[in-house]
Amino acid sequence: MIFSSELIKGTLKTVVLKLLADNKKMYGYEITQKVKEITGDKIQITEGALYPTLHALEADGLVITELEYIGKRVRKHYKLTPTGKSKTKEKVNELIEFMNTMKIVLDINLQTA
Amino acid sequence: MYQLSEKQIDFILDDIKKRGIQIESLQQNLLDHVCCILENEMNAEDDFEKLYSNTIQKFYKKELFEIEQETNDLLTFKNFYFMKKVLILSGVATASSFVLGSVFKIMHWPGASFFFVLAIGMTSLLFLPLLFILKNKELKNVQEKLVLASAIIVGILYLIAVFGSVMHWQIAKPGTFWLITIGFSFFIFIPLYFFNGIRKPEAKLNTVITTCLFVIFMSLQFLMIRLHPAQNQIDGAKVEQSAK
Repeated sequence: MIFSSELIKGTLKTVVLKLLADNKKMYGYEITQKVKEITGDKIQITEGALYPTLHALEADGLVITELEYIGKRVRKHYKLTPTGKSKTKEKVNELIEFMNTMKIVLDINLQTA
Repeated sequence: MYQLSEKQIDFILDDIKKRGIQIESLQQNLLDHVCCILENEMNAEDDFEKLYSNTIQKFYKKELFEIEQETNDLLTFKNFYFMKKVLILSGVATASSFVLGSVFKIMHWPGASFFFVLAIGMTSLLFLPLLFILKNKELKNVQEKLVLASAIIVGILYLIAVFGSVMHWQIAKPGTFWLITIGFSFFIFIPLYFFNGIRKPEAKLNTVITTCLFVIFMSLQFLMIRLHPAQNQIDGAKVEQSAK
């Protein structure tokens, strides 16, 4: 089963931040491959969702980029800023809280269904 | 692993640009991403252009430009709340400046023009442009955006014309600015507003009523400026009277 993009969209920032926290620095393609690999292809981050999110994180000052010149192209490695590191903890905790709450909500719904 | 040639990289970058991606940083991201995929999946005997075309198609639903739009939306959304706050603050400050300026003007106290300049400056440079940016985001089609843009222009022109007249600024003395404002409203803003609204069944009645009100208001305004004698006529009359 591949999860729908609607489900992934709300958690993408947190997922990217957590990956960067665990891997020091990553570039776009690497992020998509890593997510595919660790979720057994269940979550596939699209380019259309990933890059806008990375740009927003950069504008928020949560990540910075390191440029690597490969011939005629430039690879941008993203890494967390100190603010990004504390924000990651906050976002991950928020997501865990949310998942626990969702569990309760869905269990209640299942019981009443 | 296949190694893309410089020519092939240039081809991809050109195509990304042609598809409407203007943010350089995003161009670099997409270029590197496509190159990574191609270099991992391509063999020397494969057709490069065909494989590229299949790969890039997976990046979007309708067109590649969606990614740039989404990026801009996320970046604008970040500033959305701040912009809204500035909009409210500039609205309050503008209204206060207008009221204070009017009181100063009626009481013949010095400083009325300061408040009017402040009010016009804030309205035309901050309040109305911000209103345009925030409202523009909510509008979907180009025609609605044009109506909004022309309404904002009329608003700015109208303000300058009113306060130009009140303060006897050179710019509005012969009524030229009024004619520009009214002309713009009659020939651009009102037709745009009317034809945009009349096509929507739910907005038909409101559009007709509002258009009538706009036309009546602008006609009265036109009548007022034509009835109001031009400064050179007043000066001429004064000279004539003193000669007698």
